Amino acid sequence: MHRRIAGLVFACFCAGQLTLQAEDFKLLDRNVEIHGFASQGFIYTNTNNWLTMNTSQGSAAFTDFGFNVSTSVTDKLRVGAQFYDRNLGHLGQYHPSLDWAVVDYRFKSWFGVRGGKVKTTLGLYNDTQDLDFLRTFALLPQSIYPTDLRDATIAHLGGDVHGRLPLKHGLGNLAYTAYAGHRSDSIYSGYEYLASSYKLYYSRMGGLQYGGDLRWNTPLKGLLIGASRMNEDLTGKGTFINPFNPDAGLLPESGHSKADWTNQFYGEHTVGKLRIDSEYRRFLHDERDHSGVTLLFENVTDVRGWYVSGAYRVMKRLALGSYYSRYSVTSVTRGPFALLFPPQTDTSQPANHIYDKVITARVDLKKFWDVKVEGHFMNGYAYSTYPDGFYPQVNPQGFKPNTNALVIKTGVNF
Amino acid sequence: MKCPKVHLVAAGLMIFVPLNAVASDVKVIANASVKADTISAADLKRVFLEEKNSLADGSHVEPVLDKDRQVHAAFLQEYLGMSEDDLQAYYRTLVFTGRGSMPKALGSDAEVVAYVARTRGAVGYVSSAANTEGVKALAIWTPSNSAERKLITRVEPDYPEALKRLNIGGTVRLQVSISAKGNVENVELLGGNPILGESAAAAVKKWVYAAGRSRTVAEVSISFRGH
Repeated sequence: MHRRIAGLVFACFCAGQLTLQAEDFKLLDRNVEIHGFASQGFIYTNTNNWLTMNTSQGSAAFTDFGFNVSTSVTDKLRVGAQFYDRNLGHLGQYHPSLDWAVVDYRFKSWFGVRGGKVKTTLGLYNDTQDLDFLRTFALLPQSIYPTDLRDATIAHLGGDVHGRLPLKHGLGNLAYTAYAGHRSDSIYSGYEYLASSYKLYYSRMGGLQYGGDLRWNTPLKGLLIGASRMNEDLTGKGTFINPFNPDAGLLPESGHSKADWTNQFYGEHTVGKLRIDSEYRRFLHDERDHSGVTLLFENVTDVRGWYVSGAYRVMKRLALGSYYSRYSVTSVTRGPFALLFPPQTDTSQPANHIYDKVITARVDLKKFWDVKVEGHFMNGYAYSTYPDGFYPQVNPQGFKPNTNALVIKTGVNF
Repeated sequence: MKCPKVHLVAAGLMIFVPLNAVASDVKVIANASVKADTISAADLKRVFLEEKNSLADGSHVEPVLDKDRQVHAAFLQEYLGMSEDDLQAYYRTLVFTGRGSMPKALGSDAEVVAYVARTRGAVGYVSSAANTEGVKALAIWTPSNSAERKLITRVEPDYPEALKRLNIGGTVRLQVSISAKGNVENVELLGGNPILGESAAAAVKKWVYAAGRSRTVAEVSISFRGH
């Protein structure tokens, strides 16, 4: 019965009988808008399992959806909220969350404030990384936008000041954002999942997050360049099993960042139907972990990534794209538990990098419905104290140096 | 009657920046609540990209789209420099990050005109031949480096006696809309003493320029310095 209904729905979509469109309605004389999206993906890999899924057998544990409601209360005041849910292999696990909930007051075009749970402006795509329908690629370059670590950067509970300043003499305009707030990770996120492979179980992870973004819409048509900076002061609390004394059972554990910052530089150029993007990110994480007052270890992880991408709309319903992405990680650990984390400093080793060549085709079946087919050709697996897609729990036999992946993803939005 | 001696700076006329009005297949219209009669192309783009929801005169503005394919395509090309896909992606980015809304989109010129007429602050566009009764048409201007329009007939402004007696002078700045034929269609005071401005505007309205390819908007300064 369900298959018949699903088949009928699919047939109606194809026949153009069904359509999805945003809804709006009046409430207390204000126009209220409702929008939503959903996507379903499938990944097959030829060697290593990827993104916590059993992809070497083919996996469709790659689903997300969300919807939002918003309205303008006055000419200058906007409110809205978005709910989001996802499952990505062992991550997410369909625990819905408040994605954002914002009150935004625009005093002038050059100065506004917003508060609540606010999407974080970091680089070109951090705040829109879930919104597949906006771009050609099924997966953003994982060197900069790791989907398994979405929680680390996606939003902060706090406030922003923002605005756009036109420049004289035809020099374009500057858009700025400055923010401060609290980051709170889901325990179903990638970092927590990696930690569990070391028998470290976080019950909470988060802390102060503040930073800014400045982007210049240059006088050259279609050219944007910018930079972002983020600082964090994080604390993680949980329990762990001491590998040198497992009989002691679960012991308390807390980690605290001594230094935690991200620099990101980016540029985007759109010329007609061609868009070229490039970004560079460096993330430095210096953390100390204790059990009670006992120092367990101090770890410094240095992550660097960059990519160059191009996407071209060939015809109304077909776009092609490609990118080259490079990710490297170094990690040095000191302290009593340093033995568990051998130093990783040679980025030429597959364990310390991922170089990814990607090619994508996007077909828009309807205005609201797209399908993407994407190939990834990866060298390296970057298994370190900081994850980037490859986890030991789903690769118990160890890692192979190269992974090719086929990603098929479909999505709707309204 | 003796002509009042009026000192005019720079041979009687100072045109700062010749501004070309854009001749176009589309007409930009606004609700009567929008005070301005002209808007720069840059500001128009910012309104439609939701970067600006009020003009310099304090008028609230909000964009309205015309779904008529030809009119919409002409507007995008001329004023936004974006494709339809890029524009829709831009609006959806605003909507799905909580930073803006999807503008109202209407199916025909008549629907756009009706909506703009009844909606405070609405700014839309229709084909240049559309009936725009009930709404105002906005003149769009862009800065350009083209040669200034040649002034054929100049009428000197009267210096109001009361102000002259009190030795009250100064410079007034006017925005002047000049038709393709060379007549002055509209004069707005941009700055300076309002009484002197009224006198200057009355004189400038009688000026005649050489014919040009299209409507032009220019800035004029006139100084009053009585003896």
